[in-house]
Amino acid sequence: MEEELLRLKNEATASLDSLNKKEELDTFRVQYLGRKGQFTTLMRQLGGVSPEDRPRLGKLANTIKQDVEKAFAEKQAALFGVASAGKPVDDLTLVGRRIPAGRLHPVTQIMDEVCTIFERLGFEVAEGPDVELDFYNFEALNIPQHHPARDMHDTFYISDNVLLRTHTSPMQIRAMKTRKPPLRMIAPGKVYRCDSDITHTPMFHQVEGFLVDKKVSFGDLKGILSVFVAQMFDKDVAIRFRPSFFPFTEPSAEVDIACVMCGGEGCRVCKQTGWLEILGAGLIDPEVFRMVEYDPDEYSGFAFGLGVERIAMLKYGINDIRLYYENDLRFLEQF
Amino acid sequence: MKFTVNWLKQYIDFDFTPDELADRLTMAGLEVDSVDALFHGLDEVRVAKIVEVAPHPNADKLSLCEVAVGPERYRVVCGAPNAAVGMLTAIALPGVTLPSGLKIKKSKIRGESSIGMLCSERDLGISEEHSGIMELPETLEHGQSLIEALELKDTLIEVDLTPNRPDCTSVIGVAREVAGFTRGNISQPIEKELPALTGEGVPFAVDVESPEDCPRYAARLLRNVTIAPSPWWLKKRLLSIGLRPINNVVDITNFVMLEYGQPLHAFDFDELAGHRIVVRKPAPGETITTLDGTKRELDPEMLLICDAEKPVAVAGVMGGGNSEVSAATTDVLLESACFNPISIRRTSRMLKLGTDASYRFERGVDPELAPRALERVVQLMVAITGAKVVNDGVDFCEGIAEPPVLSLRVKKTCDLLGMDFSADDLIDFLTSIEIRAEKKDEDTLTVRPPSFRVDLEREIDLVEEIARLKGFNDIPSALPMVPMSFAERDQGRDLQKQAASILTSLGFYEAINYSFVSERHFDMLGLEEEDPQRTVVRLLNPIAEDQSVMRTMLLPGLLENVCRNINHQTTDVRLFEIGKVFHPTGGDQPDEKVRLAAVMSGRRHPGSSRLYFAEELVDIFDAKGAVEQLMEGFRLPQVEFLLAEGAPKRYVDPGSFFELKVDGKEIGCVGMLAKKALKQFGIKQDCFFLDIHLDELVELAAAPKTFTPLPKFQAVSWDIAVLVPEGVQAGQMIEAIGSFDDPLVQSADIFDVYRGKPIEDGIKSVAISVTYRSSEKTLDDETVGRVHEKIIDMILSRFNGRLREV
Repeated sequence: MEEELLRLKNEATASLDSLNKKEELDTFRVQYLGRKGQFTTLMRQLGGVSPEDRPRLGKLANTIKQDVEKAFAEKQAALFGVASAGKPVDDLTLVGRRIPAGRLHPVTQIMDEVCTIFERLGFEVAEGPDVELDFYNFEALNIPQHHPARDMHDTFYISDNVLLRTHTSPMQIRAMKTRKPPLRMIAPGKVYRCDSDITHTPMFHQVEGFLVDKKVSFGDLKGILSVFVAQMFDKDVAIRFRPSFFPFTEPSAEVDIACVMCGGEGCRVCKQTGWLEILGAGLIDPEVFRMVEYDPDEYSGFAFGLGVERIAMLKYGINDIRLYYENDLRFLEQF
Repeated sequence: MKFTVNWLKQYIDFDFTPDELADRLTMAGLEVDSVDALFHGLDEVRVAKIVEVAPHPNADKLSLCEVAVGPERYRVVCGAPNAAVGMLTAIALPGVTLPSGLKIKKSKIRGESSIGMLCSERDLGISEEHSGIMELPETLEHGQSLIEALELKDTLIEVDLTPNRPDCTSVIGVAREVAGFTRGNISQPIEKELPALTGEGVPFAVDVESPEDCPRYAARLLRNVTIAPSPWWLKKRLLSIGLRPINNVVDITNFVMLEYGQPLHAFDFDELAGHRIVVRKPAPGETITTLDGTKRELDPEMLLICDAEKPVAVAGVMGGGNSEVSAATTDVLLESACFNPISIRRTSRMLKLGTDASYRFERGVDPELAPRALERVVQLMVAITGAKVVNDGVDFCEGIAEPPVLSLRVKKTCDLLGMDFSADDLIDFLTSIEIRAEKKDEDTLTVRPPSFRVDLEREIDLVEEIARLKGFNDIPSALPMVPMSFAERDQGRDLQKQAASILTSLGFYEAINYSFVSERHFDMLGLEEEDPQRTVVRLLNPIAEDQSVMRTMLLPGLLENVCRNINHQTTDVRLFEIGKVFHPTGGDQPDEKVRLAAVMSGRRHPGSSRLYFAEELVDIFDAKGAVEQLMEGFRLPQVEFLLAEGAPKRYVDPGSFFELKVDGKEIGCVGMLAKKALKQFGIKQDCFFLDIHLDELVELAAAPKTFTPLPKFQAVSWDIAVLVPEGVQAGQMIEAIGSFDDPLVQSADIFDVYRGKPIEDGIKSVAISVTYRSSEKTLDDETVGRVHEKIIDMILSRFNGRLREV
């Protein structure tokens, strides 16, 4: 075995000296160093030698192979100036050398974008707890026990009065209970509903926003949200407000934009309506003001909430909500 | 809420197309979920008359039917038991494709040729009925198209109703909404004055013990009812919205509920003990078996409809099996009542039983509706079942609250909506939807909402109606005038952003995992039983076992992500997550802390061609480097990498693991994951991680950015090569040089460590490059040499070394 290795080395080194064409180099590489080359073949036989000899012979074989590889690389460089790692090449079509760089999750990207728009409008960013009290998530938002609106929220409970927040609206209460108007805030965060299928994940992200002062009107709400939509999507995108219901706002509205897929012609994404619902909003209900001891005759305000995953789906054309939480790099790399 | 366009047109005239109608309803606040053409695919199906039935010579269960379809005659092999001479049925002739996708062809069945197919209701997609072929009314003519003959062409509209509009849980309610925007009038089936129900001389009694939960209870008795299938028009209405016809009595009560929004119940009168209805709370331990055959435990808070002896229905939710209308029923007691929404909702929740009736009651049913809907049922029962109505009836209505009288301020309305209205504008809007309004003074209106608008209780409810009627899109947009203010910096948030930006620049992608995880993760990591991470916040109603506890650490989620990526052939993985972990506190809410975790595995240069970088894999120093770069970015004091005292957690490799301290404070750890733990997560390659308590870092003071003048003179580097015992750590030597007291010493860097021949075992050679610089002059060899000598002496004596002979 040992003699065999040395013989192969001498033979390879000798033959390398006489080469001077690219084809010859290629043949050499295949013959000696390739996957089916003589070194590999010989090294496979190592399994057959006695266990005492195996480490020594293995090491020797490796050293010899490395020597030959080095000699080969030098020969190649001498002849053509090419190809060993780190050395300059003359084929400029080769790809550039990259330094690894990652990206933020698409949900974070959208959430940052939303926050930035509102921060430019002077809104303050605040975050509240994910594990919330029933009082903040429901009671204080005018959703008493046994109100049918609780059906709109499939709630995860920790105990009778502790739950995973079903929306980011509790931040309204937390902020208003501790501060006085004027208030301009947005509250991004995770929310939870016990619902899981192709269009729902049990956890998703919302951004809540609200503004309270004297004489804030429904017209102001429309104005702010129109600015937001123009910044977030396209300044010419059509927007419409239609009546809806949320227990903590009145009048309540859902806001639609012209379908970003079909431009309003009607398609599968917009269910042929030409419109896509992107957020819910309304004037803060006087009952909510009473809960935080604001006088509804003195103050008024508006609130709105939007689903981050939904906006990302619309902006990026993502068609399966479950992809967000699999953290597959083939997905994350796209944004 | 589902209805069809033809059904709606029974009560209101309009000429919108179904899509236009859907759009108008949506803009009025009744969001249309879907618009679907009904019974399509039946255009070519015809009415056929069976003129002859003969047995099939080769099959017992088949028959040969001779049918007439207009002037044509066909012979069809048919397996239906109800095929009979003279019967009208539906035939799909060759070439027709049925809704199920079945294509009809000429065929031979057991040797007999057959042209076309006689269809059951299920074949036609009309209902689930498949026990025989469809029997059609005798009034039809054979040869007619089935769609025309049965007037099947219609459009189904489904509205996603918000909880504030219980008045629209009926077709008439929707018609009223349409009348609002067409300014038309609706025509109701019962327009006439209702008969007075005095309760005098009726052969039954009603006793309401809980008027607060049952404000109204109206009942009438019908005798000589003939239970039979409903006529086609009635079946069609139910079928068109996906409801299964049962028999004439049940179908009529369902129909009127859908038409008016009033849930109704029919009792078999003979089964009511004492011919008496008692509305009361359950006695302790009382139970009832409801229509669906389930025996239900009752709670004292629920409301029951009982006879003299026993419960016969759970009020407003579901009737009992004991008093159900059956084929043998002749006398029927009809209930048309109004129940307290909260009571019904509580009951429905406790029983986990939602029905069409409870859906309406828990949202609020018009208390004035009960007698009118009852009259409608009576009208249909007499017409359809041949029943005789017993004069008079009961109408208990003592629980009904006074209808509210509201004030609406004109100026407040204008301020809230941000546009100008006059008092007359407002009156005009409100009147258009049957809300009575009059001027009280210049700024105030007195408003009386109709009883069916149970949702209008406050001034703001009226403001919303004004906005809705004006049209949200016609309210002008503005921007609010708000005083300038500023927000304090949120250091936690800033730190998170900074961490994310540093890690992405180091090649890490951001991951987001669910906040709830599987408890099994702790076993997979091999955590000790008493490990504090095992103390979790638990969900009472998780969707699945693997999402049942709130996470106490981020690492397991990331490891699952690594496995998933490797399984999808992405073997170079760098991920980080910044998110909350949850630890119980003993109080109501857990402690929520923001942590940062990152994992790295695979090649050192992911994303770059193998052409340039060999197969170098990441190791512990890559993970350490990431920690160093993070801390440097945060401008925190020097981070200390400490070898763990005692045995580290089982999921880390004890040989490559550090606890991290900054300013004496524990802030996290970095290391290599133990192979055993990785195997648990299905990962077969080396994987490194770091885990940092971000919230702790907020407390630490970042170094201010201060400028140091750039050096004027060049630096020189001199090397040292020393042989030291294996136990000497490189870090100690660098630190010793770094703290050497001479202003010329700038920095030191190890550039080679060598073991092996010709150096003896237990000794290693370390090569260090020391950089010297003066802020005053260009250094000469002599000056550097003096300091360099001292450093060498210090190294040799402190670390028991000797110079390496060249």
